[in-house]
Amino acid sequence: MLHQYLPVLVFAALGILVGGAFATLNLVLGPKRLKGDESSAAIRQMDPYECGLPSEISKTFRFGVSFYLVAMLFILFDIEVVFLYPVGAILKSTDSVFVLAEVVLFVALLFVALIYVWRKGALDWR
Amino acid sequence: MSFDAPTIDYAGLSPVIALTVGLVVIVLAAVFDSVRRFGPALALLTYAVTAGCLIWQWNANLDLVSGSLRIDGLAVTLSLLAVIAAAVAVLLAIGDPSETQAGRSDWLALLTGSLLGMVILAQATSMLTFFVGLELLSIPLYALCGTNLRRRESLESGLKYLIVGSVGSATLLYGLAMIYGASGATGFQAISDGLQAGDGMLSDSLTLVGVGMVAVGLAFKVSIAPFHQWTPDVYQGAPTPVTAFMAVATKAAAFAVFIRFFLVALGPLADQWDVMLAALAALSIVVGNVGALAQTSLKRMLGYSGVAQAGYMLAGIVTATQAGVDALVFYLAAYVAMNVAAFAVVVIRERQNGFSDDISTLRGLGREKPLLAWPLTIAMLALAGLPPTAGFIGKLYLIEALVDDDWTWLAVMIAIGTMISLGYYLRVVATLWMSPAGQAEAGAEIDTASLPPQIAGAQADPFEDSRADRRWYLVAPALIATAAALFFGVIPQPLVDFAQHAGDALSVWIS
Amino acid sequence: MLSSIIWTPLVFGLIGLLVPKRFAAWVAALGAVITLGLAIGVLAGFDPDGGMQYITDVSWIPGLGVDYSLGIDGVSIFLVLLTTIAWIPAICFSAIRGTDRPALYYLMLLAGETSTLGAFLAQDLLLFVLFFDLMIVPFYFLFGIWGRDRGGEEDPERSPGNGPVSVQSATLKMIVFTLIGSLLMLVGAIAAAVIAADGGELTFSIQTIVARGLPEGSQNWIFWFFAAAFLVKMPAFPLHGWMPDSYRAAPLPALAVFSAVLSKVGAYGFLRVVLPMMPDASDLFQSTMLVLAICSILYGSAMAFTKTDLRLVLGFSSVAQLGFITAGIFAFDSTGAEGAVLQMVNHGLVVVPAFLIVAMISERTGSEELGPMGGLAKKAPVFAVIFLIVSMATLAIPASANFIGEFYILNGLFQVDAAWAIVASVGVALAAFYALRMYQLTMHNPLPDGSDSREISLRDALVLVPMVGIVVVLAFCPQLIIHGSEQAVDSSIAIVREVAK
Repeated sequence: MLHQYLPVLVFAALGILVGGAFATLNLVLGPKRLKGDESSAAIRQMDPYECGLPSEISKTFRFGVSFYLVAMLFILFDIEVVFLYPVGAILKSTDSVFVLAEVVLFVALLFVALIYVWRKGALDWR
Repeated sequence: MSFDAPTIDYAGLSPVIALTVGLVVIVLAAVFDSVRRFGPALALLTYAVTAGCLIWQWNANLDLVSGSLRIDGLAVTLSLLAVIAAAVAVLLAIGDPSETQAGRSDWLALLTGSLLGMVILAQATSMLTFFVGLELLSIPLYALCGTNLRRRESLESGLKYLIVGSVGSATLLYGLAMIYGASGATGFQAISDGLQAGDGMLSDSLTLVGVGMVAVGLAFKVSIAPFHQWTPDVYQGAPTPVTAFMAVATKAAAFAVFIRFFLVALGPLADQWDVMLAALAALSIVVGNVGALAQTSLKRMLGYSGVAQAGYMLAGIVTATQAGVDALVFYLAAYVAMNVAAFAVVVIRERQNGFSDDISTLRGLGREKPLLAWPLTIAMLALAGLPPTAGFIGKLYLIEALVDDDWTWLAVMIAIGTMISLGYYLRVVATLWMSPAGQAEAGAEIDTASLPPQIAGAQADPFEDSRADRRWYLVAPALIATAAALFFGVIPQPLVDFAQHAGDALSVWIS
Repeated sequence: MLSSIIWTPLVFGLIGLLVPKRFAAWVAALGAVITLGLAIGVLAGFDPDGGMQYITDVSWIPGLGVDYSLGIDGVSIFLVLLTTIAWIPAICFSAIRGTDRPALYYLMLLAGETSTLGAFLAQDLLLFVLFFDLMIVPFYFLFGIWGRDRGGEEDPERSPGNGPVSVQSATLKMIVFTLIGSLLMLVGAIAAAVIAADGGELTFSIQTIVARGLPEGSQNWIFWFFAAAFLVKMPAFPLHGWMPDSYRAAPLPALAVFSAVLSKVGAYGFLRVVLPMMPDASDLFQSTMLVLAICSILYGSAMAFTKTDLRLVLGFSSVAQLGFITAGIFAFDSTGAEGAVLQMVNHGLVVVPAFLIVAMISERTGSEELGPMGGLAKKAPVFAVIFLIVSMATLAIPASANFIGEFYILNGLFQVDAAWAIVASVGVALAAFYALRMYQLTMHNPLPDGSDSREISLRDALVLVPMVGIVVVLAFCPQLIIHGSEQAVDSSIAIVREVAK
């Protein structure tokens, strides 16, 4: 019975292997002259995200709450709308009033949510 | 491509539809100032219509929406209990700082959403609706716990509940996945068939681990020891109307699906899980009752007592008989009455003394305000299982079901737990009636002083309502619930019929 | 008819909530008198050889097989009479003195009467358990609200012999002790019915369960579940731990009926439930129970002799008396059991005036301690005579009904084994010591300062004299009870006698 789950095990093993390999190689091959070196190249290497340019944002930088709010709302509505694609693709072939009604209901509920969010002022950038 | 629309019984679905429509209306009411103040009325109207639909469907016994929901006696009775609890929460929350701070209708929308989850959960007959219902129940509750925005404890309890609840949900989901793996089905009946058809599936470790994880996940939700640690903290920190709702309605809905999943889907495995659940029940009885002994906060004490009571109720499932389910539903109904009475008094007292729920604030209440003292007294006696209250009949019912199915040791455990519980329930009664008033003020002051500092930027809560014990919407739930706890203690037959209606729904699966 | 006896007190208690406060006491007294009238009405139509009578049998919770079934026989009728009689002086005594929060007080007192009567009349096992549990609730409130802390820092009666007692802990101890027993009894009762039904229709009717019989193995553990409840309630040695504290904290009128009647429910339970339902187990544990009974007698007497608090003297004498009663029941002999029934009534009748006298003594001396007392008889001959009669009845002086009761019990014990009877008779001798000591130390000797030898007031006399009168009348014709209960007692112990042979 359990052998059906073998692929999972293989997948996990591969993940660990590849991830571990990169980490180890980095450790072995990477330059190690960071300590005490004040040159900008060395500092840049310590950046969490290394892109060659000095990072303008310090560790303690905070995003505005509005950013999170809008981002979250975007993701919520975005994902909901994704559901519309498959339905849209099959709507004609199913030839079913039921499906149409369901989708209309779904969009209507989303619309209620949108009204709520809008009236609450969550879309205003503050 | 041909498409068959699922057969939907709209009459049977009417409670869910009513609640959904109500939810939409309440959400919209939250953002239009002119109608905002009608929020409680709208919520109560929604619940009344829902209750009406449930009673209309009282004798229904059919699958809705392609076998993912089912309306039957079990669903109807337990949904009704949840609806009653929600209506009480609406009343108790009128004027509560949590409700006003969260924006009236928003609070009510969260409550209604959670209730919708409960109604779906009570009807769920498929793992998908099971999980969706459970999450719909939980997520608004996490938010509700934190709605008292200016109290640190409230926010803390919301966060704590979110984290622990997510762990519970995740465990449950993992367990469901394993059971799906073992049975290859999502419908409860199909799981049962699949498990029996599969070769050796009934004793396969995959299945059993899955069953265990589902049990653990549900145990988190109904706060069965040892998965109860969140309960006292969350009960204490959450706004009291939310605690009242959470204590009874969550138990009603979660036990509905507990019953249905274990007795229908996992029915063939009853011999495997009954000992496990019996051990959990026994542990819960001991841990809950012993934990409650040392509490000085009423809400914390009720939290621990809830753990013990969940243990008593779980014993009803252990038997895997119809009598056990009847007893559980009866006990749950009695539990709603006793808890509502207790929490209503706590709400009133909290409003009168600046939100302290310390037991010492009850001193001398029996002499000064008998109208408040009696509901709490009756509630405590009922929770302790003394006659002539519904609590006594409930214990009697459970013990009868247990002894009838050869679980006498568990019945004795219930008796022992009840003895321990006298220690703390009667302490409350003694404080109400047998301590002189006067020290109450000192006790309350010390308590406010020891409160943690308010969170940054927030003012100390100026809210105090010395006339709270005259407000009908606070007193009426207490009195009605007390009357119910007494009435069903003296004339229990109507409630026994109610409970048996729930048990009859499962007559196909269990004896 | 029996229903009206049970519920009349409660109804009057509820009426008492509605009337103005100063009338509450008299409404309660009226209720108690009407209840007594109803009980006498039942007695008038009672046939001593008729077995169970006045049967009421209504389905109560059909879903659980519980019936509201009442009946009365030769044992219960006398206990019902005792109950209805005992409550009247307790209520009148409180009414004369007045109490704090009267409406609630009398409601609780009368609710206590209702539940006690219910326990004596219930013929359904679960109904019996329910009333048995219910009894403790009103007394919890009575003791807790109207009782007082004793022996604390400010208490003038503080003495080295008696430590401090707080009402809260005393009542908690009482209710936890008694409920430990009765919760186990609840499990035992359900188990008995389920096992007896053996898959058939579940019923809790005591008669049906007795007729169906229980297998021997189950009897043994169910026996102890029941015995735990009854022994705690009595209280019997070694389960009397709750008694001293709650007796000292309790208000005296409530304590009078509590000690007089509630302790009898335990003994009654043995006779009504345990012996017929579990004959094999009763036979098996006969010696154990007799040992417990004898220990209660000796321990109770010894403690009564050494204690200086009047309440404790009476409390421990009750332990001893209940020991006698238990011994009489477990002799499995009709003489012994009849003696036990007689003794239950006797003890109840004596204890009520005794506790009320303690209350009066403490009004006169400001204390309930024997040490500094004395001389109360000087200017109060009537009071002294009443107390003397009560004391003589307590020590079972020949020609008192208590003497007959104890004689019957010893006679029954003698049938089992002469040794039991001889040891038990030591208790009779000890009773003379403690009863006379109590009388002597309070009434004779010089009157200390601060005490007031005052004659009993007319109203108090009106309360006490009828009670004492009944004690005297019963001394002349104990046969009323012996004959009246004969048939019922015989049928109760018939099964166990069969087994014992």
